[in-house]
Amino acid sequence: MGEENEATNTQQSTTESEALNFLDSVDNYLILIESLTSTLGQGWLELSSARHSMGGSRLNNVLLTLKHHSAPTTVELDYDNAGSMTKSKAPQLTLSKWKPSATQESNESEATTSPLKTENHRGKVLSMFGGMVSPKLRASQLSFETALETLVEIANVRSSVLEAHRALKLHKG
Amino acid sequence: MATRTQMPSNSSGLIAMIADEDTITGFLLAGVGNVDIRRKTNYLIVDSKTTVKQIEDAFKDFTTREDVAIVLISQYVANMVRFVVDSYNNPVPAILEIPSKDHPYDPQHDSVLSRVKYLFNTESVAGDRR
Repeated sequence: MGEENEATNTQQSTTESEALNFLDSVDNYLILIESLTSTLGQGWLELSSARHSMGGSRLNNVLLTLKHHSAPTTVELDYDNAGSMTKSKAPQLTLSKWKPSATQESNESEATTSPLKTENHRGKVLSMFGGMVSPKLRASQLSFETALETLVEIANVRSSVLEAHRALKLHKG
Repeated sequence: MATRTQMPSNSSGLIAMIADEDTITGFLLAGVGNVDIRRKTNYLIVDSKTTVKQIEDAFKDFTTREDVAIVLISQYVANMVRFVVDSYNNPVPAILEIPSKDHPYDPQHDSVLSRVKYLFNTESVAGDRR
């Protein structure tokens, strides 16, 4: 009888801990979405200001280059979850900003991204819209970079929400 | 839905986007734009002339590409292809619904929250966050 009560208590505390875990994940998810909305709002405002000062013809999608190029900003996937004990199927995602392409790495002595090289990459992208660009366009670029960092966090928390939900559903039966 | 080969244990992936022009322009400024040798991009700009079929095809294409890790889709665009978005269950690429300039984020329509909302009173989730 005593053993049965102990087993029930253990199961109950496991379910409660999973429920708390799930609620925390959902809370984090919603907080990050709010932060993203605010950052994106700032980015759109800065982009609109840049369009106002530079002119609509200088800032539209016609200028987006279709010349072959690799994305300097990508996402690193870690399926081993950095050796953690959790057996999540979703990988851990990390943002990799302004990484030089394979061609650039072989041409340059340093493979790592220095602050100067990051600025060069940023400048190269801005040059799609002409030589002299509005400071608001640069500000918008930084806002969208921040938004990307938040999005990668959201992607990781999304996996936690779904995993916690799965665990809770399993225990509820 | 077509399956895709899993990426190696540690690898890098692109961020694909299906959104309006300003959102795409902003993220391209942040360096996520990729154009391959066949001039295939990792984004679709949605405007008034974009059809639902084009959006659906782009979504299916990005979610089956081996080199895509995250797909960003404006929530109002996701609502146009809600069935396809909600049917997607793979961990990679991660599908993230984002707000757009003219359509604020609505937690009621979020595909992740809609899967777990039966555990909540939905009014309390939406109401507390406004």
